[in-house]
Amino acid sequence: MKKIAVTWLLAALISAVLTMPASADETLVLIVSADSKVEQLDSLEVRKLFLGMTVIHNGDRLRPLLNEAEPRLKDVFLQNIVSMTDMTYDRRILRLALQGGRSLPAVYADKFMLINTVAADPTSVSFAWARDVQHDKRIKILRVLWHD
Amino acid sequence: MPNSFSRLSIAFVLLILFSANRASADHEHASNEFEVFLAGEAYHGSGQVRPGDDDTWFDADVVFGLTQHQFRVFGELYITPDEHDLERLQFGFEFVPETVLWLGRFHQPASAWNTEHHHGRYLQTAITRPFIERWEDEEGLIPQHITGLLFESRRPVGADGAVQLSGGAGAGPALRNGQYDPIDLIDHNPGKHRLSVTGRVAYLPEYTGASSFGLLYGHDHISTSSPMVISALNSRHAMLSIYGAYVDWNSEPWRAIGANYYVDVALDQQARDESFISGYLQVERQLPYKLTVFGRIENSARMQESNYVALFDDHDGDIDIALRRNALGLRWDYVRRQALTIEVSHVVSLKQRSDEIRLQWSAVVP
Repeated sequence: MKKIAVTWLLAALISAVLTMPASADETLVLIVSADSKVEQLDSLEVRKLFLGMTVIHNGDRLRPLLNEAEPRLKDVFLQNIVSMTDMTYDRRILRLALQGGRSLPAVYADKFMLINTVAADPTSVSFAWARDVQHDKRIKILRVLWHD
Repeated sequence: MPNSFSRLSIAFVLLILFSANRASADHEHASNEFEVFLAGEAYHGSGQVRPGDDDTWFDADVVFGLTQHQFRVFGELYITPDEHDLERLQFGFEFVPETVLWLGRFHQPASAWNTEHHHGRYLQTAITRPFIERWEDEEGLIPQHITGLLFESRRPVGADGAVQLSGGAGAGPALRNGQYDPIDLIDHNPGKHRLSVTGRVAYLPEYTGASSFGLLYGHDHISTSSPMVISALNSRHAMLSIYGAYVDWNSEPWRAIGANYYVDVALDQQARDESFISGYLQVERQLPYKLTVFGRIENSARMQESNYVALFDDHDGDIDIALRRNALGLRWDYVRRQALTIEVSHVVSLKQRSDEIRLQWSAVVP
């Protein structure tokens, strides 16, 4: 009886740990405007978008905005979502620009300007720390991309 | 030429003005691109009295693009102290995502190297391009610029992969005085520009990946009235058929890019038809401290027996045609979008052997 109780307790603890929300401080989220028609983007679509390829949702051509407000933020995004180092990514998108004049993702070094731009443009897609956007009613969080 | 360049400059400025004010344009679902690839090079080669045609001490490659809904405009202006050419000017319509039909002057899709790097030296790890991939004004053996229609498409295959199809058809370069002259979109076009048809079928293991391998095909109808060419080939016409295969494999920190071309030259008298083979393999490895080491082997067969190949050797003191080349180099990306590269190579040309050393600074702005 004691063994069963211990097993249940252990299982409950593991379950609690697994379902516990990640700290908002180290949670990277995919964001769009609250007015955006986009409800979800899978990993391939996110990769396509940030590699300069065309992604259309409900007739809208989506526009990637690269968040460079913090070096770690961009590094985490590139390594975990795009699966490239910063240098490789930069050369890759430059190559796409050279191959057919594709537009490179717009770069924002100021997080407030980035969030305001996303909020104002229903076709834009970006990423941010959850703590920076989770209470902003103008922003829709599509999903968690990464957490520590 | 100065007149054409001024017209080109005006067109270019208008395009920039038209595409200015990025922020306001963004809200109208338009986007634009403007990049300048810069490079400066120092060169020394034994047994040569002048640098090679591919070794200009400075060059700038200005790339501009505009996307408005499904329409695209794209251009590439290449500037050196000796030339300023509108290398590409394309107007495209994207039917569905990643399927575009272009009209204009473009780089033929059957070149493994040029469709990847074009004129942007910063993007090619090595300083030199393989001899078989040289541009027309560098005594290149294969026509590289076509004016006509280009179709490009990338379609998903299986769970992760993709097939890439590219096909181009239009007016190819004219052959005059041992050099190809592509259609000039602004200036006059002497010579006979005949049909050129080229294509590529490639498989990409990952739809968004940089790795691919595939087959290449080109067919160029050459017709000339140049006495020099007629005398060398003993033919007024040549049908150039190019069959190739390539691989561009990327797996950080490694990259390998290689291609092999079989070139058949059919002349007026079938008994005198020629063919030759040329290929290369370049391997690169990224190292710590943003260093990349690379090596390339180029080799060929039957080129020294070809009258067609000899036609492009202009005896002006540099090496125009290489039968073999071994190159080794090191690139240092010392700061974002700037790199320093050193490359040493040993070349066996039609008539001599040479050791070469090159130093290059390359960059992209903004």
